[in-house]
Amino acid sequence: MADKQQNAQKSVKIAAGAVVCVESEIRGDVTIGPRTVVHPKARIIAEAGPIVIGEGNLIEEQALIINSYPENITPESEVEPKTMTIGMNNVFEVGCVSQALKIGDNNVIESKADVGRNVILTSGCIIGAFCQVNTCEVIPENTVIYGSGCMRRVQTERPQPQTLQLDFLMKILPNYHHLKKTVKAGHNAS
Amino acid sequence: MASLLQPDRVVYLVRGEKRIRAPLSQLYFCRYCSELRSLECVSHEVDSHYCPSCLENMPSAEAKLKKNRCANCFDCPCCMHTLSTRATNIPAPLPDDPTKTAMKKAYYLACGFCRWTSRDVGMADKSVGGCSYSKDAHINKLIEYYQQLAHREKQERDRKKLARRRQCMPLAFSEKYGLGTRLQRQRSGAPISNLAGLSLKEGEDQKEISIEPAPALDEVEPLPEDCYTRPISLPEVTTLRQRLLQPDFQPAGASQLHPRHKHLLMKRSLRCRKCEHNLSKPEFNPTSIKFKIQLVAVSYIPEVRIMSIPNLRFMKESQVLLTLTNPVENITHVTLAACEEEDPDEINSTAKVMVPSKELVLAGKDAAAEYDELAEPQDFQDDPDVVAFRKSNKIGFFIKVIPQKEEDGDVTVSFKIRHDFRNLAAPIKPSEEGGDTPAEAIWLTHHVELSLGPLAP
Repeated sequence: MADKQQNAQKSVKIAAGAVVCVESEIRGDVTIGPRTVVHPKARIIAEAGPIVIGEGNLIEEQALIINSYPENITPESEVEPKTMTIGMNNVFEVGCVSQALKIGDNNVIESKADVGRNVILTSGCIIGAFCQVNTCEVIPENTVIYGSGCMRRVQTERPQPQTLQLDFLMKILPNYHHLKKTVKAGHNAS
Repeated sequence: MASLLQPDRVVYLVRGEKRIRAPLSQLYFCRYCSELRSLECVSHEVDSHYCPSCLENMPSAEAKLKKNRCANCFDCPCCMHTLSTRATNIPAPLPDDPTKTAMKKAYYLACGFCRWTSRDVGMADKSVGGCSYSKDAHINKLIEYYQQLAHREKQERDRKKLARRRQCMPLAFSEKYGLGTRLQRQRSGAPISNLAGLSLKEGEDQKEISIEPAPALDEVEPLPEDCYTRPISLPEVTTLRQRLLQPDFQPAGASQLHPRHKHLLMKRSLRCRKCEHNLSKPEFNPTSIKFKIQLVAVSYIPEVRIMSIPNLRFMKESQVLLTLTNPVENITHVTLAACEEEDPDEINSTAKVMVPSKELVLAGKDAAAEYDELAEPQDFQDDPDVVAFRKSNKIGFFIKVIPQKEEDGDVTVSFKIRHDFRNLAAPIKPSEEGGDTPAEAIWLTHHVELSLGPLAP
């Protein structure tokens, strides 16, 4: 019975309306909401718990969203699986790494940025290119982190949702890539 | 091994007003004086001004008028990046029919790096792209007022001069606050007798620009009560750098940071101080990186580079492989000599060096050599103990190094290199016999210092 439960959990649920390319690597218990676009070579890995991704997100190539075990805990010991939640209209640009457990709406994680596990992004945050944020804090709304010294400032308006880009991609990507569909519960993850 | 090619491993000594050691790539060669020149022994002159983002050229007078700033480009007050203009569609009432709303384009400035927008400081979106966003009306008024004041003072002084019949003071002395060019023109042609006729710009009435002096208050506004207890919100406070980039207002709050016009950069030309010839003159066009005159040292002086260094041990002789490259097209003869005892230039060397005593011959640089397959191999008799290899205009040779000091730090050696230089720039003197060699070779000596890295542990 425990086996069946485990198998039921470790599946990838892709909502209708999401565009997930077959070349992307999705492992573990991942739920992807509608209108989300996952580019080829993106990696979503749910090792230490499930990942729930909302709608309207844009996950670009070589982005890595990983729910992994904290470094000092071995996989064998008993750790409660924590769910990683990602809200709506977020953008994960090329090559970024995100391990944050809670991400709100309308955030932008720019190219090659690195967000640690103990960071909580609220909404409207922009993590600039190549910035590494591995503090243990809640980033307030509408914060912009930029520069090599990770300077911060607050902007007055949140970044706009990338609706134009999402529409374009949802039309064009299926012309060139095969898409992943929802896997029924009980089968192995594709 | 790329660290061996770093420019500061091999430095040449420049004997100018100051003794400067610099890599050959940063030096210039005056072929009229036949000497190396560094950036500190030449005079720098401004050639032209240009904006680094829109690459617009500006003559110096116009640049001075615009306070060395570009009219079209702006800098982000937050991160000093270049701002770009973005357009949005906003619904606005049509001028004909106030009830209907149509989409009109509005432009605002945005920074791509820190995501600052001109809306953050409350600047309204403009309906025409590319108009001025800055507000320095106060400074302009002050400048006009002081220009008038300076002109009036100069008139007073000149009248006194006329009364006392003294010699005309140097022009630079009476220029204050940068008076406009029209006034300068009038003044430069003015001997003492014409001073009585000096007046303001023709056809312009003397505007009485009055500036209200800053009011002196007895009572100053007291500090707010929570000045010490209110927690500081760091994103609201400007950094010193952001503040000082706007010296007229120096805003303390981030909501008052306005964009500034972009600073112009300049192209400079270099001139030898002794013979007044130009050493480097760039082209006028800002998009072009070429030079009209480019007398850099690497195209005249053979360059020494380090190729490989064995493990260096204290008081043990090791062989270091160096390369020598010939930049000119004729054959060059190079002689190396170790520095003598008590050489005033040799202060940095920490090792004894033994250089090959024979003269090294370098072939000329042949630009077509790689395409010409029928080229005859050059027939130089090379001593294999001295010359390791030879390849077109490059030669590899050995020197023997004995480190003398056991301290931590780099082993440095120095030696003198003497080569012949044919000055093709000098005018050909017509000789009586007729048929003299077109360019006579002169021998130049340079002092070279190499940094060979630390001793092997």
